[in-house]
Amino acid sequence: MIQVQQENFQVDDLYNNLLKANQTGAVVMFVGLVRQFSDLSKQACSFELEHYPGMTERNLQAIVDEANSRWSLLDVSVVHRVGRLSIDDQIVFVGVSAAHRAEAFEACDFIMDYLKSRAAFWKKETQGLESRWVAANTNDEKSLERWVK
Amino acid sequence: MLSVNVVFFASLKEIIGQDSCVITLDLPVSIGQLKQKLANELKNGQALLDESIQSSVDFEFTRDADMISESVKEIAFFPPVTGG
Repeated sequence: MIQVQQENFQVDDLYNNLLKANQTGAVVMFVGLVRQFSDLSKQACSFELEHYPGMTERNLQAIVDEANSRWSLLDVSVVHRVGRLSIDDQIVFVGVSAAHRAEAFEACDFIMDYLKSRAAFWKKETQGLESRWVAANTNDEKSLERWVK
Repeated sequence: MLSVNVVFFASLKEIIGQDSCVITLDLPVSIGQLKQKLANELKNGQALLDESIQSSVDFEFTRDADMISESVKEIAFFPPVTGG
């Protein structure tokens, strides 16, 4: 399941949806959150996520398809929030179920790495009256190298 | 002549001051050539020439050397993505 949405998500619901009776031996999940990015109070800070409707979903599907082609997985869920968020809010969920833990760990890691650098989302941080677009982290791009076949 | 919708995102959208425009192209044109044309025609369009700016054609990532085909519906320009 791939979902781009404004609403928050419930990790336990997403977890339960990943379970396949008699088959699941491992579930690996990642949740990304908005951490404090300023010395100002939590109330003075906000966070906005822009996306490119249509392209973002396609990017995520391509990443999940690639993960499924590399590892034997039972199910994959990716939920990414957009719009205005606050400190401590959940941003992204990636969950992978498989028969064994090795492929679940690797696939989850792979999906997050590619999501950071190959899915059309842009973050903007606001501190008081000042806003700035978050610059891409060169380490995220470098992190993709370890997945090159 | 080909009429194409061009969209901008994030910081690039704010610098250029608009989220989209419709442009008429005389093919063959590459993504890089379109970028140059927009840079000359749009207010603050020079921001498009920053080497970090990325592009897509009909939701697929593209490079400057890629040629625009007659069937293209939408071209996008945007800064490096920062999701997750």
